[in-house]
Amino acid sequence: MNSAIEFDPEIRQIEQEIAKFFAEKASEYTGRHPIVSMLMSYFYVRRSLTQRDLRNLTGFSAGAISKAVRQLVDMNMITREMIPGTHTHIYKMETLPFRSPSYFLQTEKTLETSHKELKEIKESLDAHSDEVRGLEGYKKVYAVVTHLLEQISTVPMFMALIEEELDKFIKQTKEKR
Amino acid sequence: MKSNKKASSEERLRRVEQKLVEIIANFGYLKGRSAKTSEVIAYVYIRQEVTQQLLRELTGYSLGTVSTVLQGLEKLGVVSKHSSQNERGYVYRLAGTPSQVLSQSMADFQGYLSEISGFLEQVEAKLSKPSLSKKQGYSSLRRFLDEMNVLIPAYQQVLQKFQTMRLDSRQERVGAANE
Repeated sequence: MNSAIEFDPEIRQIEQEIAKFFAEKASEYTGRHPIVSMLMSYFYVRRSLTQRDLRNLTGFSAGAISKAVRQLVDMNMITREMIPGTHTHIYKMETLPFRSPSYFLQTEKTLETSHKELKEIKESLDAHSDEVRGLEGYKKVYAVVTHLLEQISTVPMFMALIEEELDKFIKQTKEKR
Repeated sequence: MKSNKKASSEERLRRVEQKLVEIIANFGYLKGRSAKTSEVIAYVYIRQEVTQQLLRELTGYSLGTVSTVLQGLEKLGVVSKHSSQNERGYVYRLAGTPSQVLSQSMADFQGYLSEISGFLEQVEAKLSKPSLSKKQGYSSLRRFLDEMNVLIPAYQQVLQKFQTMRLDSRQERVGAANE
C-alpha cells in the first residue's frame, strides 16, 4: 500500500506542495471544498488509498476524511472496493479526472435525472399557471427552470465534442513526442 | 376562501423553488462544493438578490454560516455586495445573468488551467534533480506529471475551441433572429 512513510522526504515535500496548491487553487477558482481538493490531489499521485492512509497524509480527522471520500465517490472521481480478507475499503482513481469532460461537466445520469425533474417542474408550473403566475418570485423561478432546461439539453452534445477533440489533441501530442 | 387559495398557491411555488434548489445544489455538490455553499448558490441563482437574513430563513443556517459562505462567493465572483436601500445591512446580487455566470465559470476554468500549467513547470524543475530519480515515490510523481503535461495543454486548446464555437452559435442565432 502507498502509505505516507514510503515516500522519500524530498519527494514527500513536493507531493505536499502539490496537495497544498490544489487545495487552495481549486477552492479559489471553482469553489470546491479544500479538503475534497486536497484528497483528490493525493489520488492524482498515489491512485489507491485507504481512509487511514488519507488521515496519515493530511492530518484531517476521521470524520472529515469519511465525508470527503463519500463526496468523491458520488462525484465519480474514485471507486470503492473491499480489500480481500479485511473489513477495510480501498479507494481508487483509475485515471486522472482531467481525462474526461465529466470532470467539469456532470455525469450523463445526473443530467438525465435533472432534465426529467426540471421538465416535470415546468409542466406543473404551466398546468397551474393561473394560480401561480401573479405570485412574487414566480417569474424568477420560471426563468431559471427554462434556462436550466435549455442548458442541460445542449450539454451531452458539447460533452461528446469535447471528448472527441480532447482525444485528438492527446493523440497528436503523443505522436509528436 | 380567496386567501386560503392564495396561501396554497404560495405553498406550491415555495415547494417548486425548494425542488429547484435541490437540483441546482446537487450540481454544486458534484463539483466538490460543500452542501451549504451549494444550497446558498442555488438560492442566489434563483432569487438573484438576497440578504443574509433571508438566506438564514430559507436555509435554516446560522447567520455566521451564511456570512462565511457569502464571503466565499464574493471572492469567487459569483455575488457582489451592495448597501441596502430599504434596510440596514447589505444585499448580495448574482454577478450577472445566469448565462453570464456560466460563461464566467468557463473563463475561470481556463484561468485555473493556466495556473496549473505554471505550477507544474515549477514541480518539473524540482523533480529534475538527478538525485531524486531513484528515490521512493519518484515514479508516482513522474507519472502524474507526464499525464498532466499532456492533458492540461489539450484542455486549454479544446476549451478555447469550445468557447469560439459557443460564440459562433450565439452570433448565428442573433443573425437568424434579425432576418
